[in-house]
Amino acid sequence: MSLASNPPSSGGAPSSASQSRQTLKRSVQQAFDDPSDRGTGPIGYQSKVRVIDRYKVIGFISSGTYGRVYKAVGRHGQPGEFAIKKFKPDKEGEQIQYTGISQSAIREMALCSELSHMNVIRLCEIILEDKCIFMVFEYAEHDLLQIIHHHTQPTRHPIPPATVKSIMFQLLNGCQYLHANWVLHRDLKPANIMVTSGGEVKVGDLGLARLFNKPLHSLFSGDKVVVTIWYRAPELLLGSRHYTPAIDTWAIGCIFAELLSLRPIFKGEEAKMDSKKTVPFQRNQMQKIVEIMGLPRKEQWPNLVNMPEYAQLQTLSGSSHNKNGGSSLEKWYYSTINSHSATSVPSSNASLGLEGYKLLSGLLEYDPERRLTTQQALQHPFFSTGDKVSANCFEGMKMEYPHRRVSQDDNDIRTSSLPGTKRSGLPDDSRPVKRMKE
Amino acid sequence: MAANYWESTQRRNWLYTREQLDDLRKKLEEDDPTRVQLYPLPQLRYLSIYFNQQVARLGKRLGVRQQAMATAQLYIRRFYSKVEIRRTNPYLVIATAVYLASKMEESPHHIRLVVSEGRTLWPDFFSSDTSKLGECEFFIISEMSSQMIVHHPYRTLTSLQSTFSLTQQEASLAWSIINDHYMTDLPLLAAPHTIAIMAILLSLVLRPNQTGVQSASSAGNIASAAQAALSSVGSSRSGQGGAPRTKLQRLVNWLAESNIDIEAIVDCTQEIISFYEVQEQFNEKLTREQINRFVKACGLDK
Repeated sequence: MSLASNPPSSGGAPSSASQSRQTLKRSVQQAFDDPSDRGTGPIGYQSKVRVIDRYKVIGFISSGTYGRVYKAVGRHGQPGEFAIKKFKPDKEGEQIQYTGISQSAIREMALCSELSHMNVIRLCEIILEDKCIFMVFEYAEHDLLQIIHHHTQPTRHPIPPATVKSIMFQLLNGCQYLHANWVLHRDLKPANIMVTSGGEVKVGDLGLARLFNKPLHSLFSGDKVVVTIWYRAPELLLGSRHYTPAIDTWAIGCIFAELLSLRPIFKGEEAKMDSKKTVPFQRNQMQKIVEIMGLPRKEQWPNLVNMPEYAQLQTLSGSSHNKNGGSSLEKWYYSTINSHSATSVPSSNASLGLEGYKLLSGLLEYDPERRLTTQQALQHPFFSTGDKVSANCFEGMKMEYPHRRVSQDDNDIRTSSLPGTKRSGLPDDSRPVKRMKE
Repeated sequence: MAANYWESTQRRNWLYTREQLDDLRKKLEEDDPTRVQLYPLPQLRYLSIYFNQQVARLGKRLGVRQQAMATAQLYIRRFYSKVEIRRTNPYLVIATAVYLASKMEESPHHIRLVVSEGRTLWPDFFSSDTSKLGECEFFIISEMSSQMIVHHPYRTLTSLQSTFSLTQQEASLAWSIINDHYMTDLPLLAAPHTIAIMAILLSLVLRPNQTGVQSASSAGNIASAAQAALSSVGSSRSGQGGAPRTKLQRLVNWLAESNIDIEAIVDCTQEIISFYEVQEQFNEKLTREQINRFVKACGLDK
């Protein structure tokens, strides 16, 4: 954690190059503090607060293409724990340089500063220091990926129905807030849905989110592919250029299915982009959807024939379970929720019943225009029949989920910038990492 | 909130009264009296006109849309409400604001392109080192507390265009009045819908086929016509308004039925009209020289 191990700053006065970093810092600081000392030359940017003065890092949580996430506590009595997301600065040689902040970081900073909802992860502050961006979020002990994974160990046992219901309600509630504010999340998946130790669900990682009201450019032009492939809506797979909140609700449907079956419902393989950087048709992923949902028909999706990849559909084979090509989702649903009841687990998901199926099929509706909106889904009878939905998804549970694994390998938030391991803790079930370069 | 102005950071953190704004600026100058004394600057409106011209020049070269340029101008105004201008290189701040606003408005430009256009426009005041612009980006974002989502009056104007059956001419005049208001303090003093209604009101009072906005001699007349229209809102609210015969009357009746703060619209009207009067006296050469002098003398272009 020593400051001396940091790379030298390049932003300061040229004459200070030979001086130690600390001396440089102090002299620049003085230039700010003492007005009479403001001599000539531009003053390098200095953060007014320093991340290590405000927070004590407890350990390292995960890393991705964007940078790293650390767990921390406040040094000045700030209540609770924090997850600090550090964006990786670009390196030119050994020297870290200001290279301009990526558009996705800008989006996430701007959106998180504006949004405020109990089911969206809360941003505490952003510190811009030493060419790095530190976004300080409230800490969440769990996420849906970790919870789902826990239920597969040592053998599969279902997530209790009351928990599923509460998670779904809170997830929809957070997304409804985003959509009401013209924000598309675009990357909903279990790993991005946080759950606090108090059982509050928080939509996280708005790194791909963006506003969709009156964009200057079509939403398609900026970043060509969004949403991790297993959660990608059929209209996107068929080449739609018109993004709507319906792409998020499809992903929510996939997450609902995964909470029930503990496996991704449409686990396709991503076709890689070719050398010409054209986006290939995701045949395998579409095939996985068709196997359960049947081939989409223009009677149920009038705009289907206008999809750029419509012709490709003809080359897919329909549902193997159903000769006339219809959906076998209902069959999938009942065999899933009843599969555990044979082992006489009292908390069987069978109690989710018919309304659970109706909600699932409403979210996994082929036609994005007929797909349930988050608003409609929240008013679905699924949530008003049976037990009351709890604001704490762990209410009534005897067991406790394991805590997020925090490693001690890399506790120095200020220095390290090279992502090492992908994620400490869970094996990621070989999940595809979806993040387009912009 | 991203879509709701009432819950936005713009309303909560970036809306001032005239007194608050004057205080902020006074404090900035008091922090550095020597520099302020050494390098006198023209009044803020002239600086704003000059900045607006520079934003437009750079924006044109880069092909930046009007809305992104408006966002850039708002960033610049917010930034200089927190940082004394003589401590900065305005050309670098302008280019950085345009660079940042383009990203925010989803039409990004590469940092190297922005820097090379900046070099072309202001060769004596602009470093070819892209990291300078990257550093300035940190500075601007930090001073704005990362609150980069802004609400513009254009959206209100577009949505009210049919309500008041504005002709193409009237609408585009209102649009250019909105463009002009970024050269005043109005974006920090009034809500975007207030600005939009002020712009519509003026476009109806001015009647684009008759007078030009720039005509300073008529500014007083415009002000009194707008004032008269707004004061009749009061009588309409007390139920004396007849059937609307003109668009202006329709606007007045509509305002009377709304909860919109008429005083705020009056204030906006006065602010923009006094701006148009001042604009006549703008001296680009003098403004440029005074800016360039402190940039060079303080070595801010390095």
